[in-house]
Amino acid sequence: MSATAQQFLRTAAAKSADLRHRAVIQTNMASYNVAVTRGKARFADWQNARRRAAQIKWETINHLDRYLEQFERNVIANGGRVHWAETSAEARNYILSLAHRHGVRKVVKSKSMTTEEIHLNDALEAAGIHAVETDLGEFICQLRHEPPYHIVTPVMHLTKADIARDFHEKLGAPLTDNAEELTRIARQKLRQEFLSADMGITGANFAVAETGMIAITENEGNARLTFSLPPIHVAIVGIEKLIPRVADLALLWPLLSTSGTGQPITAYSSLIGGPRRDNEPDGPAEFHVILLDNGRTRLLADAEQRDALHCIRCGACLNACPVYQNIGGHTYATTYPGPIGAVITPHLRNAAEWSHLPYASSLCGACTDVCPVRIDIHHHLLHNRRNAVQKRLDHPLQRLIFRSWLWAMQSPVRYRLAGKLGALACRLGVKPPRAFPAPANQSFKDWWKNNEPGT
Amino acid sequence: MRVGLFIPCFIDQLYPRVGIAMVTVLRRLNVAVEYPAAQTCCGQPAFNTGYWDEARTLAKRYAEIFAGYDAVVSPSGSCTAMVRNFYPELGVTPPPTFEFSEFLVRQLGVTDVGARFPAKVTYHDSCHTLRELRLKDEPRQLLRHVKGLELLEMDKAETCCGFGGTFSVKFPMISYAMDEVKCQSIAGTGAAYVVSADSSCLMQINGYLQKQKLPVKIISLAEVLAST
Amino acid sequence: MNPAREQILARVRAALRVAGAAPAAPSAALFFPPVTNLEQRFREEFTALRGEIVTDLPAFLKEFPRIASDLPAVVPGNAGVHECDLGVTGCDCLIAQTGSIAVSTRSAGGRALSVLPPVHLVIARREQIVPDLTGAMDWLRRRYDQHWPSSLSLITGPSRTADIEKILVMGAHGPKRLAVYFV
Repeated sequence: MSATAQQFLRTAAAKSADLRHRAVIQTNMASYNVAVTRGKARFADWQNARRRAAQIKWETINHLDRYLEQFERNVIANGGRVHWAETSAEARNYILSLAHRHGVRKVVKSKSMTTEEIHLNDALEAAGIHAVETDLGEFICQLRHEPPYHIVTPVMHLTKADIARDFHEKLGAPLTDNAEELTRIARQKLRQEFLSADMGITGANFAVAETGMIAITENEGNARLTFSLPPIHVAIVGIEKLIPRVADLALLWPLLSTSGTGQPITAYSSLIGGPRRDNEPDGPAEFHVILLDNGRTRLLADAEQRDALHCIRCGACLNACPVYQNIGGHTYATTYPGPIGAVITPHLRNAAEWSHLPYASSLCGACTDVCPVRIDIHHHLLHNRRNAVQKRLDHPLQRLIFRSWLWAMQSPVRYRLAGKLGALACRLGVKPPRAFPAPANQSFKDWWKNNEPGT
Repeated sequence: MRVGLFIPCFIDQLYPRVGIAMVTVLRRLNVAVEYPAAQTCCGQPAFNTGYWDEARTLAKRYAEIFAGYDAVVSPSGSCTAMVRNFYPELGVTPPPTFEFSEFLVRQLGVTDVGARFPAKVTYHDSCHTLRELRLKDEPRQLLRHVKGLELLEMDKAETCCGFGGTFSVKFPMISYAMDEVKCQSIAGTGAAYVVSADSSCLMQINGYLQKQKLPVKIISLAEVLAST
Repeated sequence: MNPAREQILARVRAALRVAGAAPAAPSAALFFPPVTNLEQRFREEFTALRGEIVTDLPAFLKEFPRIASDLPAVVPGNAGVHECDLGVTGCDCLIAQTGSIAVSTRSAGGRALSVLPPVHLVIARREQIVPDLTGAMDWLRRRYDQHWPSSLSLITGPSRTADIEKILVMGAHGPKRLAVYFV
């Protein structure tokens, strides 16, 4: 077992027994479920909308080379620049050299899981550049030196009191139990950062090939300030974020917000296609898009699980997952936690180190049912388990057990004998594992022999 | 119609009464059933753990044993899902296999089996029955026709109990937490029994109920339907 | 152009040599119920989001000593975008389905004016209301075709957050109040 897997087991055990954590998450999920039920009711046909969304993403992902080239052409035509990055390091280095060239001292960031994935903040800080997270949840995470707990709701695990304590200790704010007051404190602090930043960094929820624009979904307005005020805007975009047309957003925007928070559409749904144009009064002088691979083409090469690249990072599968609800987002120790994370992480990173994640699921399928782009999530967990066994990442003892088990199951005589041995062991005082009861005195097979029709 | 019984290995060994109850109901409805004695396991434990070659061997075995039957009926949504939904992934064509409530309601068109069970019960949707076989209403229709039975819905009827086969062995602490959440929802209904179409879930649920000495008993759907 | 470009595109093309199974196709059924009575629907959605519909413009403007305006003919401005109490802009179109307002660098005086001020007032005409998001995306596409503004946003209610215990708080970073006045 990898050290990562051992750490996972320890953290999962502790969190599963943490009743305070469970209560906080269940309260959050209860509000989420109410909002999402209401949100889905605004669709005429939610299932059909999912099918259309899956079709749009399938079309893009299965012709990705074409859409990437079209997107690139259009960004350049709009006056933007495109940089392709094969790895996290390439993406980070591009940003660092850009920042260096322009003498950047301060960066404001809007929420982006892709920047988490490439560990951008650490790299910026190491280069002496102050990076400021401006999404309220991410701002709190940064204060706590903690990764986001959830890809949509970064501080789902915290209460008002927890956050008030952080603001008090780290910002010198007076203690308060008022969410509005806490928000006001962050707004005031961050407003100064927006006005003095030299660079704004965002992710993208979608990248529209036909117009060369990126789409950003948010509620706070921090992303709009991030791409409006600083003189340089850099967007880090995973290559799977492409969609063909602007018109597709008429479905994908509501689908994302409904699954993410239950909102019909978020407060701000923006499209950015380049730096300030000549006839525009403001906006950045430079617009850079980084197209990031970082393992995505490995997942693309697996035709069976290619639909995992449909993911629009709405977080619905995390919310629906009973495992996630009990062990929490941090336990996974991945950028993308929960069911979708357990599917993609062994591909994006390293199967040997992360093969425990696909096993950490009861395969209940709640994730697949809620996925707005119909990714076959829980079946891909099965595929990853099969892949792990094929790569011989399984424990030799487990392999031996299943070989012996197969030998017993191939013959009714051996099967019966195994059953009798089990029953005997129990009578001799061997405790069956977990909740298993001792074998019955008479198996069904034995009963049938005496109760066959005609006997 | 030639109907075969598939009695999954853990029901055969641990809960034979569930299989017996199913036979009792089917005989009451004058359905003649056969039990091919060579049957053992559908292969699901191996399949779910990633041992697809081993699972395929048992899938082929199952397909041979039940070749020639018009229908195979099983008192387990989970094993039925393995046969119907996952054998094709292994390249094996499954014989027509039905979960018990599905067989009664959809194949035989029966919703009242003449049972009587005067008690408050709550129904646990097992994940495979609900999300692989899409059977939500069928078991409830049958329960609603049982005389004296009062069906109380729990708030987390569709939430996994945390069993998940080898999952519960590999991650016992997560499995236990899920069981706890499930059982609190069950106990919240005030029902005397929790009913399910999967005895593996009931076994998991019973683990917590007994440990915490909660006043709820487990019973399979087949046993409720066999009661008179 | 950097060498990674060719590497990534080559890997993408190699990966796609194995075809993926196509998903179930959608039916012709609508995704959203059709929107009728545009103005009423817009008002309902917009006010439910805590948007304000201004009827008495002079009275509304009295609240704000410093105004930055992109529409001086309707509302004269006397301040810059960084120090104003109210930002006044036009818009591209309004969306009845969601109570949203589409603004762009072209229709709303650049990027900052509709997001930086604490209050945002949109001056609109009733004829600018389109039924739904599909209609809005169509409208924008027809309007801008090959000459898109560098940035546009659908604004749906005032800035908000629910990051803390899912409690709704208005005015996270953008305007705390959003108002529309129909001329």
